[in-house]
Amino acid sequence: MVDVLMAILVAGFTSGALYALATVGLSLVWGSMGMLNMAHAAMLTLGGYVAFTVITSLGLPIAIGFMGAILVGAVAGAILYFAIVRNLLKNDKSTFEANVMIATVGIGIALENAILLTYGGQPLKQPVSIAGTFRVGPLTLPWQNLLIIAVVVVMMVVVSLALGRTRMGRAIRATAQNRDAAQLMGVAVNRVYLQVLMLSGALAGICGVMVSSMTQLSPPLGNDPMLKAFIMCVVAGLGNLPGAVAAALGLALLESFVQYALGARWGFPSLLFVVIAVLIWRPSGLFGRAEIRRM
Amino acid sequence: MTKTRPMSRSAMSRSARTDLVISLVLIAAAIALPFLVDSRYILGQIVLALFYATIASQWNLLFGFSGIFSLAQMAIFAFGGYATAMLCFYFGWNVWAALVPGALGAVLFSLVVGLACLRLTGVYVALLTLAIAQTMYLLIVTDTECFVMVGSVCRQFTGGAVGFARFGDLGTRALLRAQWLVGNYAIIAVLFALTMVFTYAIVKSPIGLAFRALKDNPDYAVARGVNRFQAQLLVFGISAFFTGLAGGFYAAHFQAIGPGVLSMSQLMFIIAIVVVGGVGTFWGPLVGTVVLVLADELMRESGEFRTLGLGLIIALSVVLMPKGLVGRFGDLVHWLTRRRAKLTDAKPIDSNIVQSPAPAGK
Amino acid sequence: MGAAAKPPVLQLDNIVSGYDGLDVLKGISLTVHAGEFVTVVGPNGHGKSTLLKTISGLVPLRAGQIGIDGQRLSGKPHETAMLGVAHVPQGDMLFAQMSVLENLLMGAYLAPDKAEITRRLDEVYALLPKLADRRNQIASSLSGGERRMVGIGRGLMMGGRILLIDEPSLGLAPLIIDQVYGVIAELSKAGRTVLLVEENPARVEDLADRLHLLDDGAIVWSGKPAELMARDELLATYLGG
Repeated sequence: MVDVLMAILVAGFTSGALYALATVGLSLVWGSMGMLNMAHAAMLTLGGYVAFTVITSLGLPIAIGFMGAILVGAVAGAILYFAIVRNLLKNDKSTFEANVMIATVGIGIALENAILLTYGGQPLKQPVSIAGTFRVGPLTLPWQNLLIIAVVVVMMVVVSLALGRTRMGRAIRATAQNRDAAQLMGVAVNRVYLQVLMLSGALAGICGVMVSSMTQLSPPLGNDPMLKAFIMCVVAGLGNLPGAVAAALGLALLESFVQYALGARWGFPSLLFVVIAVLIWRPSGLFGRAEIRRM
Repeated sequence: MTKTRPMSRSAMSRSARTDLVISLVLIAAAIALPFLVDSRYILGQIVLALFYATIASQWNLLFGFSGIFSLAQMAIFAFGGYATAMLCFYFGWNVWAALVPGALGAVLFSLVVGLACLRLTGVYVALLTLAIAQTMYLLIVTDTECFVMVGSVCRQFTGGAVGFARFGDLGTRALLRAQWLVGNYAIIAVLFALTMVFTYAIVKSPIGLAFRALKDNPDYAVARGVNRFQAQLLVFGISAFFTGLAGGFYAAHFQAIGPGVLSMSQLMFIIAIVVVGGVGTFWGPLVGTVVLVLADELMRESGEFRTLGLGLIIALSVVLMPKGLVGRFGDLVHWLTRRRAKLTDAKPIDSNIVQSPAPAGK
Repeated sequence: MGAAAKPPVLQLDNIVSGYDGLDVLKGISLTVHAGEFVTVVGPNGHGKSTLLKTISGLVPLRAGQIGIDGQRLSGKPHETAMLGVAHVPQGDMLFAQMSVLENLLMGAYLAPDKAEITRRLDEVYALLPKLADRRNQIASSLSGGERRMVGIGRGLMMGGRILLIDEPSLGLAPLIIDQVYGVIAELSKAGRTVLLVEENPARVEDLADRLHLLDDGAIVWSGKPAELMARDELLATYLGG
């Protein structure tokens, strides 16, 4: 009985950690830019494949593979900014939200297919993994899960420090809270957007590496985590980072339990049920702020 | 906020006249088409394109006119198709009898979706509808329990990953033998035409104005007496009828329906059609369908690059042509009209064109 | 004042700006010299806020020129800030989820180094001791008057050549308004250059060096505040007595 409970909890916490990482990237971009990055899934996948290429094809150490994923993710974010976001920002502000969603959908599809064309559709094994388990008392825990949780915790701390303690982080938060006021203080908001997209891209890269180490590497890898991360962001209220992390953990545990109790296919529907219920009760999410709209 | 010039009577009929002329030309072309096209493949692709255009026109009603970014369009389409197929499969109904009930089922489904989204805006609607569509897809694809045994084959309730087949057809094979495809084409073309007429009527009616108010300035509209909830449910319901009906006809035409219609790439194609054609314009979905289906055919040669190309087209269209092809064309006409007016010193009267000031200091 | 040698801190030449299709400002010209306290008064909706927003860049300029110390402004808000325009906007526009201290630190975003930031912070705390007490409190939990003080403090943290203050009395009780204007009087005495916008000219009667009356996007009268207060017909026509 305890074994089963542990297994569920471990699975829940691990996927929770992964979703939390994906969620932070999304929430950051949404909170500071009002942009829903539908290409996030593809950027996740890209990170996984970059790590794979660096380690397997180039034969470099795992740490370099990791770095590669982060770097390429950041570059992808930058490209996204220069090619798409910057141009769309010049247009009518009221259509930005929808337009950027559609444009990033297109980029996401294109990127996923570019990956498919380059690597083929066959699932690949992500070399960033540790086999084996270790025992703590009566419990057996796989190293891999511990690694994932550890990596995610480290990343959370890094992001949290970056946002909370640095000048750049403060500028990002200021832009998210009041864009006009931030500009009055001398913040070049366009540069903030670039920074946020690069940061989000880097996070997506790491997330992709970790997700693919649990499952396998395949072109549609990022789609499922991204959609679930979206749901978690929405449940928390888009733009609320700590809330999103909490929602990610909570929902991941819920998913884990439901999958055990009712079968794997009911995992996702249970998340859907929660998000519908939350949105009916609180249309801006659990911790979200309802925006005051000017007429 | 946008300002519309007051319309004079002659101006109103001018835009309506243009639409009428275009419609007549299209009807003529549609009638002539089967006589001009020899290849079965091409005719079949045209029928498929008509389906796309129908769905796109309804999504345009939802998103383009009313500003509701719903990603559940294919789910509603599929619901209609599945409902029709299942009525025929399980109850032995004739396809023609099952079509309207299937469409009504889709309307009910859409109303439920609309209810769930009632207090939501923008991004939240997109996410919720996406999640609903994805759930529907997953529930169908992971359905493995045997519901009925057909002969020695296990069939799932929702058809599972295989879907439904051999539940009936439109009757054209029996009637027209070898020319059945032309018959189907005629039926689907009529469906599309009806959809467009109906949509036109809605858009030009007070209901249509209410929808536009939803999009342009929701709070302002509410202050003016437009019941936002009612309008939102109405547009969800109305846009679902023809979408669901198209789903039923789709199942009947192909004599099969499966979870493939719920795939992301199908949804993206519809979105791309509307975006490329021109979001919120009447003819946009048709123009978009023609352009993208042609592009798709041309890219068919390059096989694998097709989806890649599609994704890039979507992204580039949004960035470079936010108003779509019809929007651009409208701008061009407006510009030409203004130039001509300046030359003849007459005041230009355009009812279609919205007055927008030159952007300052950019 | 030896204003002839140096260019004025702020110079507006026939500026035109507005929203959507309308022009709100229809050709405004005025100057502010170093150390001056200039006020613009006028009925609501006639462009006072728009004036400050145009100077700081939140509203794009359609015609005319704005100069800071003789240098022409590009119109982009963050560049304008870099040239020394510190705009304390209407309604505060604080960073609601940040603490008082973080709001102040954001004011010093462009400050060159930590030492300078500390120096400015000390100055602001000296002028506004309540902010020091509440430095870790989240901005959204402050009272109206406290928020106004944070807004002014944040503007002061910018250093800046000129302080643009937009309706500091808005939405506050009279007693609190007194306190706010007390602070403004002090910073003016300390030598800050101020361009203030206010609905009620009585408040600035003793503070302002010069006063402009803005009506329907144009300046209809300029002079000393005392002069305006003596002109009943102006008060009646434009400011409702």
